[in-house]
Amino acid sequence: MAETKFILVVEDDPVLKNLLGHTFAGKYQTLYASDGNEALALFEANKPSIVLLDLMLPTMDGFAVLEAIRSRTDELKNVPVIVVSNLGQDKDKERVKALGANDYLIKAEVSIEEIVAKLESTLNASAAPAAATPDAAAPAAGADATVPPPAV
Amino acid sequence: MSLRRIILFLIGGMLLLSLISIVASYFLIEHQMHVLLPFTDQDATGHALHGLLVQHSAIIFVFTTLITSLSFIVFSDLVLKPLRKMVEAVEGFTERSEPIVMSEFVSAPAEIQKLASVFEQFTAKVEESHARDTEISRVKSDFISTAAHQFRTPLTGIRWALEALEKEELTESQKALVASAVEKSHSLVNIVGTLLDISSIESGKHKYSFAYADLIELLAETVNDFAELATRNNVSLYFVPPQDELPQVRMDRERIKWVLNNIIENGLRYTPAGGSVSIVTQLTAQRVYVHIRDTGIGIQPKDRDNIFERFYRAENAVAKENAGNGLGLYIARTIATDHGGDLNFKANEDGPGTTFSLSLPVSESQATPSA
Repeated sequence: MAETKFILVVEDDPVLKNLLGHTFAGKYQTLYASDGNEALALFEANKPSIVLLDLMLPTMDGFAVLEAIRSRTDELKNVPVIVVSNLGQDKDKERVKALGANDYLIKAEVSIEEIVAKLESTLNASAAPAAATPDAAAPAAGADATVPPPAV
Repeated sequence: MSLRRIILFLIGGMLLLSLISIVASYFLIEHQMHVLLPFTDQDATGHALHGLLVQHSAIIFVFTTLITSLSFIVFSDLVLKPLRKMVEAVEGFTERSEPIVMSEFVSAPAEIQKLASVFEQFTAKVEESHARDTEISRVKSDFISTAAHQFRTPLTGIRWALEALEKEELTESQKALVASAVEKSHSLVNIVGTLLDISSIESGKHKYSFAYADLIELLAETVNDFAELATRNNVSLYFVPPQDELPQVRMDRERIKWVLNNIIENGLRYTPAGGSVSIVTQLTAQRVYVHIRDTGIGIQPKDRDNIFERFYRAENAVAKENAGNGLGLYIARTIATDHGGDLNFKANEDGPGTTFSLSLPVSESQATPSA
């Protein structure tokens, strides 16, 4: 009955990635990407329920990743994306909002618990309409087998 | 008095003198003729001579008038017009930064041409230094923004690691140490955030989100936030709500709260135990004032002109507190003026301490406050 949630965490700093993994381990099934290309590849292959996205990334920045996700034509287009970045200027926030991110957290200004709380509330908000459509649930279930264990 | 009028008086005066001298010489010659020449007014020769004299005087009269009028026209055309144009060019540059059009001065006298070209060089210098200022300000703002990001990334690691460590099994002394480190990491995060805010508020790039808000509720909330600190410092902090309702005030609530936080925190910090920080509001036709009065150590007269300067810290400022980075009042006033209001202070007249007054505009047409 309990649906396992897959979370895609896009974070290039290994230390921060480990610290997030430290908290997420046992709570969520987590996938980690260290750059933009990897993030999109993992996103495509594993169809996560939610994405935590950094902005300053190698190969392809977070803005481009977000744009790529939101310009998809399938149901993955609407996967919630929470931007967690240390860029914090109004112009960055506005750009990310315009691209369709669900939320913006400034990494240094939140504790991991606050990130978890935001994750939960966003997942709950998006779960309600998603549950109503059987099409959305089916591919998520099919993806289970392909998800690797969290690479912490 | 304008140059034109001065010239008019001068030339007019000259004309008048010439005319008087013409009339005078007419009568003089007429008189001389009577004395020197052996004829009377009835003589034909006398008539002719008299007519000639009148004619001659009239010609000189008309000629002089013509010459002076012409010289006035030519002079004002040659000198006054280019000079007026010059004045317009200077005004245009001063008020609207319009560049001077040199082609308008090619036919002007050499001195005015020289003046125009000197002014052109002057405007070029002013523009250059203005451009340099803008560039410096932009580079500084970019630098602060990049530096903030660079600071935040390791800070995030320190903060998260410490917060994780806090949850481990620790001895009491270890807990205390970790708690201090966590607290300081939070302060550092706040300082970086403040620096970013300043850079955006200062560069005028800050996007305020204005909405109508209840000032009384905001004040009550802010005072409540500081209740604990006030109790700890043994300073009585209170807000006296006004008897009458206040109109809704258009503001960026978060930013105004930030301003209030700063002033109240300063008040509490500089008020010795047993003192008080009190807050009252005052409504005038166009403004609502928030007066925050403390009974603290006060601001020394020599510091009074400077406390709103960036990075200025009064000599008697509390140095040990990290929050006192000398930026608070500078940004607070910028936020107030960006709202169309102001932030000022006065030394209390009837005792020690200072009263800070934040003013915000209220408009008459606020029957239907919009969000």
